[in-house]
Amino acid sequence: MKDEKTTRRPWRGVALVAAAVTLLGAGIATANAATVGNKGGDNKTRAVVVKDPTRGAKGINGLVNAADAFVATLTDDQKAEVLLDFTEDNATAWSNLPCGSSCRVGIQLSTLTDDQLTAAKAVLAAATGTGTGTGFDQISDVLAADDNLAAQGSSGGGGTPPSADASAPASDASAPAVDPSASAPTGTPPSGDPGAGGGGGGGYGSGIYFLAFLGTPSATGTWQLHFGGHHLAVNLTYKKGKVAGTTPFFIGVEPTSFIDDDGNTVQALAKQKDAISALVTSLTTTQLTKAKLTESFSDVLLGPDKDGQFPATKEGISVKALSAKQKKLVLDAIKPWVSVADDATTKQLLKIYESELDKTFISYAGTTALDTQGDYVRIDGPGVWIEFVCQNGVVYNNQIHFHTVYRDHTRDYGGEFSF
Amino acid sequence: MRLPSLLAVALLSAALLLLGASPASAHPMPHSVVLLDVHETSVTAELELPLSDFVRASGIEVTAATVAAQQDALRSYLIAYIRPATTGGAAWTVRVGDLSVTDAEQTSTGTYQELVASATLTPPAGGDLRHFIFRYDVVVHQVVTHTVLVSVRQDWAAGQVGSDAVQVGTIQIDSRTMTVPPLTVNLEHGSTWSGFLAMAELGGNHILAGTDHLLFLLILLLPAPLLATAGRWRGLIGPRAAAGRIGRTTLAFTIGHSAALALSAFTHLDVPAWPVESFIAVSILVGAIHAIRPIFPGREATVAGLFGLGHGLAFSFTLAEMQLSTGRLALSLLGFNLGIEIVQVVLVALALPALIVLTRSRIGPAFRLIGAALTGIAATGWLADRLGFPNPLARAADSAGAHPAPMLLALTVTSLAALAWTCLDRRRSSPGTAALLTTTWSR
Repeated sequence: MKDEKTTRRPWRGVALVAAAVTLLGAGIATANAATVGNKGGDNKTRAVVVKDPTRGAKGINGLVNAADAFVATLTDDQKAEVLLDFTEDNATAWSNLPCGSSCRVGIQLSTLTDDQLTAAKAVLAAATGTGTGTGFDQISDVLAADDNLAAQGSSGGGGTPPSADASAPASDASAPAVDPSASAPTGTPPSGDPGAGGGGGGGYGSGIYFLAFLGTPSATGTWQLHFGGHHLAVNLTYKKGKVAGTTPFFIGVEPTSFIDDDGNTVQALAKQKDAISALVTSLTTTQLTKAKLTESFSDVLLGPDKDGQFPATKEGISVKALSAKQKKLVLDAIKPWVSVADDATTKQLLKIYESELDKTFISYAGTTALDTQGDYVRIDGPGVWIEFVCQNGVVYNNQIHFHTVYRDHTRDYGGEFSF
Repeated sequence: MRLPSLLAVALLSAALLLLGASPASAHPMPHSVVLLDVHETSVTAELELPLSDFVRASGIEVTAATVAAQQDALRSYLIAYIRPATTGGAAWTVRVGDLSVTDAEQTSTGTYQELVASATLTPPAGGDLRHFIFRYDVVVHQVVTHTVLVSVRQDWAAGQVGSDAVQVGTIQIDSRTMTVPPLTVNLEHGSTWSGFLAMAELGGNHILAGTDHLLFLLILLLPAPLLATAGRWRGLIGPRAAAGRIGRTTLAFTIGHSAALALSAFTHLDVPAWPVESFIAVSILVGAIHAIRPIFPGREATVAGLFGLGHGLAFSFTLAEMQLSTGRLALSLLGFNLGIEIVQVVLVALALPALIVLTRSRIGPAFRLIGAALTGIAATGWLADRLGFPNPLARAADSAGAHPAPMLLALTVTSLAALAWTCLDRRRSSPGTAALLTTTWSR
């Protein structure tokens, strides 16, 4: 059942080998179907999704192939849920809240068959970064954490939290083909139906995430990949075959750390937290004084529905005043968020942000320990805007949890809308 | 009167209560709530401030245990950040009253503690109470991610007297300028007439939803067409006499509860709720027993009047909560009572035919005994509940009152059926079977 795919991030090499074996092995379809068995009807279209949905193409072409392959698995009714217009209303329909479809557009993952879900995940894998702990791997961990919340809510604790079987992504430079069986995080809450977690309005669980294409996926036109759920909003905008915007990207997590079914520790936002921590702890006392904000924060300032509301004045300490080593830490802190995009785009964007570093400011509120409600760090440049905040837990209310948002002053939604 | 919409709201809320609230659109970080009650010369605001953000913003480490000792510091902090003004910019005066720390919960937040404060906001002489600039940045001035939802809970002149608050705006930071814009409050035009109408609606709704008042009256009327002989309900009195008895009983009940309502409202009589509510349960129980065996035959009107006093006291609780000025109280009293009377008369008129026909029919005694027994059981449940022993009987009886629409429908259908049956019966038996008819009448 959960055989070779259960290896996790800590042993990335093993994961890669396992993934390669899976690719080569003749029985991948069977193994995959067994892994993502959250829906009853897995016997009908199983044979369909065996080959690489990117059809070996890289970059945008591979992504469009994967998107087409996913759409091809859908019924007409489902297509109507997935293929939407690229309007401001649709693009801004995201949230950090467990508000299900009441605040989002797109098709709910829990309504997909196994093959459809596999195809959907292949789209995400083709669109997002291949790093460990960032990009697709990180998205999988956020969904896994949400299954943990669902289990916590429905079983009242005690049992092992269900783990999403989020394996390391199977591709990197040497293995360009993205394995479509990069498993879906669909660990089922013990009580059954994923998506049944919270009744009508929403709730927790990896089934309550939504995927939509705003505009028609193509290597020439303008369109957006729109994916998200509780603690996650991915908005990747494509224009004429290039990524025109990787933002807004909201990512948060509760619990910040948990042990999955296989005994692996999952810390979905470790990359972000560690990088931010390295940056703020590098600041001298004098620098800290300059960087300190007078206001307090119990959430991010520019969350959902705050599009284009960037403060007119940048606050904190100018990166220009920092040492070369510290500047490097600023760039390192930006990287985990930018890595939501494909690897090539991430590289390009980081170059831009690096060139803008001298006009970038960093600031903080609360403490720099990042372990108390109200601990807050912001990076605000001509382009980049990142906020990281610690707030009290909602399900695990004796712990804190993280909310973060990555925006771009000019590139949110590919610059398609003016707010 | 917008009875259909009232009924819909009542049904919906009952359904929600029964189903349990599902987590709808949520805000995991609790927000502040400001509830405005618009009076004749001032506005009172109830502030519900999540403690964690409040402490961070004010620097006052307040807890449930220390709130009394920290009153002065809390009041001066609050007054500094609540600064309503007229549209011309003239400052209102603000007075902060009671303060307490309690547990609270909003959708998806889990439980948390909040500081509850009440403030009285008074415009300068001649200032417009219905249009003002609400400068308010308690907590938000410091915790810039905090949100304040401002609602009007009660606005008598605009006819808003129910329990549902209407949101008038949100106060939060404008992140572009990092300032907190004031909220402009523009209440719709209010008038004495709309206040009066709203009170009538409230009164009508009150008797519809409060099963106990109506049940008391109906159970007293149940044996009205019957003649008490030797401690038993035996013969029948004429339909005209029965109607008269029903009219007198209803009138006496009205006079009783109106008098008590007026007296208690004007003297601001502070009667605790539980004895009054228990007294009402007893009144229904007595009525049920009387319907089985006559214990005060011929004196139903007197009894209705006496027990009506208790019911009137219960009505007055609704008015007392609203803290109205004397002038508005008088109008409210009139409107509220009018609403009660209208609905009561309609219901009695609906029930009357069924009552008279059924009591005279073959199944009359069974109908009366079963009805009285059920009422007695409900009354016993209520009595226990109100004396501090919650029980499923009381809950079931209460939920019947939460569904007035099917109750009304059943009553109407029964009455119509009873009338139709009588007409049919009469026509069938009219030629030369007068003897049979007489038998039916005198059973």
